[in-house]
Amino acid sequence: MAQLDLLRPWGQDSWGGFGALRREMDELFDRFGTFSPALARTAFPALNLYESEDAYVLTAEIPGVAPEDLEISLEGSTVTLRGERKVASEEGASVHRSERPAGAFRRAIDLPVPIDGEKVEATHRHGVLTLRLPKAPEHRPRQISVKAG
Amino acid sequence: MTQVLRNPVKQAVREEGTRPGPIYRPDADILERAEEYVVLVDLPGADEQSVQVRFEKDVLTIEANPAVAPDPAWTPRHVEYRPGGYAREFRIADGIDVDAIRASLRNGVLELHLPKTSRRRPRTIQVAAA
Repeated sequence: MAQLDLLRPWGQDSWGGFGALRREMDELFDRFGTFSPALARTAFPALNLYESEDAYVLTAEIPGVAPEDLEISLEGSTVTLRGERKVASEEGASVHRSERPAGAFRRAIDLPVPIDGEKVEATHRHGVLTLRLPKAPEHRPRQISVKAG
Repeated sequence: MTQVLRNPVKQAVREEGTRPGPIYRPDADILERAEEYVVLVDLPGADEQSVQVRFEKDVLTIEANPAVAPDPAWTPRHVEYRPGGYAREFRIADGIDVDAIRASLRNGVLELHLPKTSRRRPRTIQVAAA
């Protein structure tokens, strides 16, 4: 029974165990929760990393995690996200579906260059975290002006 | 806006959205209390304006088309998700008091409360002494 797979518990201590967040693409005609084998499982939270000239931008999908329940730390060039999602269960209620991952999570990301920790900006909007991580000054591109000889 | 179109010859088809990007089936939890159902759906990136909830003929439809495209000046270095829309349907057979459905969105999670119609609620029948 495919639905049982959705109930697989989250790992608690190692982020390698957080395989339960699943995304299904192009399930346009999926009805009534039927299971599709086209599952792509990733760690929680799913992260994207972008680079601009002077900064890295890390985005993470963390629906259901309030800003105060999220801990972001930076050590050298390593960013760590920690938090917890509460389980939606309660006494006296029966659970018909339990797909949303719950439990503690931790993810650490090593960036290629050191970050200017004083200038990191974090925004949290509609369940998406965006971290702007400026590169340390010595790792930013520099314009070298050439003087006429 | 994404719409389900009825075509008399083919199966129902879904019109292309005006925004590019994939459509995901979001994760959901459904709880049943004595007097209501509670549906929680992960819709990261979606704001109130981008979410549509419909309830028709026992089918609950949730769609969202958030505008969350990354800045084109950013070069992707590591990609685990692609921002996109969401679509999902549930059949809820119990009688629902449609006018009393409440929906709220918080930190990217849609929370729906669907009260049961009174005839569906569990009732205790008093037994009178004869």
